[in-house]
Amino acid sequence: MKKKALFIAIPLLVLVMVLAGCPGGGATGALEFYANGEDFVRQGFVSKDGWSIQFDHVYITLDDIAAYQTDPPYEPQSGADISGKDTVGLNGAYTIDLAEGGTDAPRILVGSISDVPVGHYNALSFKMARAASGPAAGYSLIMIGTAQKDGQTVEFNIKVEEECEYQCGEYVGDERKGIVAEDGTADLEMTFHFDHIFGDGDLPLDDELNMGAIGFEPFASSAQVEDVLDMTEMHLGHVGEGHCHCGCQ
Amino acid sequence: MGKKWRAIAAVIGGLVLSLLLPAPALAHGVNIQYSSDTEITILARYDSGEPMAGAQVAVYAPDDPSTPWLTGICDDEGYFSFTPDVSIPGTWDVQVRLAGHGGMLHIPVGGDSTATSGGVGGYSYLQLGLMAACVIWGSIGTAFYFRRRRPA
Repeated sequence: MKKKALFIAIPLLVLVMVLAGCPGGGATGALEFYANGEDFVRQGFVSKDGWSIQFDHVYITLDDIAAYQTDPPYEPQSGADISGKDTVGLNGAYTIDLAEGGTDAPRILVGSISDVPVGHYNALSFKMARAASGPAAGYSLIMIGTAQKDGQTVEFNIKVEEECEYQCGEYVGDERKGIVAEDGTADLEMTFHFDHIFGDGDLPLDDELNMGAIGFEPFASSAQVEDVLDMTEMHLGHVGEGHCHCGCQ
Repeated sequence: MGKKWRAIAAVIGGLVLSLLLPAPALAHGVNIQYSSDTEITILARYDSGEPMAGAQVAVYAPDDPSTPWLTGICDDEGYFSFTPDVSIPGTWDVQVRLAGHGGMLHIPVGGDSTATSGGVGGYSYLQLGLMAACVIWGSIGTAFYFRRRRPA
């Protein structure tokens, strides 16, 4: 009688332990992380103060990249830390060139994870960190290129040391992102809006975006970057068109 | 069947028939209907307070987060209204975009406004069922244990 009870109890106990440890049945899929400087970086643009800017290289170093399934959904306006029931992340820091490729180049794959739990990754966090080595060593962001205005040409090499942490909600764009189905692949995107730094000549000067941007003129006059560029105020990092909570130091 | 039973059957039959037959139409009658649907109105503005006039709106129901359940455009004052299907409870997501900037609004609809997946308190229904089975099994086992120890 005792043996019979054990035969029933042990498999049942194992089943309970497995189910308790693997919510959702353990189904997984793949999640890819992309970085995108948008057409502003790939094709160039005119700043709010009339400088035509072309980028040769935009080196940015990204660290602590993590995706979350949050319920209730994370609101970046809250400024709170993200807490999710499922969190996955990329190991290490990645220095990428957002201007890589031609004017129609695709966004850049930073990394991927092949076996994340299925579900909707509706929050993302990442850090713009100083690179330890490589072409951007010692800096979190380097913008190299040419600016022209009224026959004047300026070769610029703008180096940013500030490190910024971005905590973002769901990607906002043409399609929803981050929905991982079993054996499927979904993606998330870290999007960088450089018009927030230089402004956009296609918009009125009193547009909110241009009111917050510093334009290119301070860089043309060889001003010290740290004197004119407050990265916290620039809100460079986004998720598509969605805003992130940002803290820089 | 006796007379008494025939009379009772006739009365019941008449009552049933009167309930089934339509009531005669009356002159100056009115047809008043109501719906318990609840319309949701959103107001989309920039941080500056300026309305997001003409902003694109996409509404996603909880049962299909990938495909918009409804799309539309904000009016000149930034308003957009829709009536969610209350038979799909959960969090309805509304995405609003204009000129490269946008946001996502999350609106709870239905009884359990926070429920987004099957289960209670973070446990799936399968896990809850197993826990219940374990409790019942344990109770029965305990009962048998004490019954066996009772002196004959």
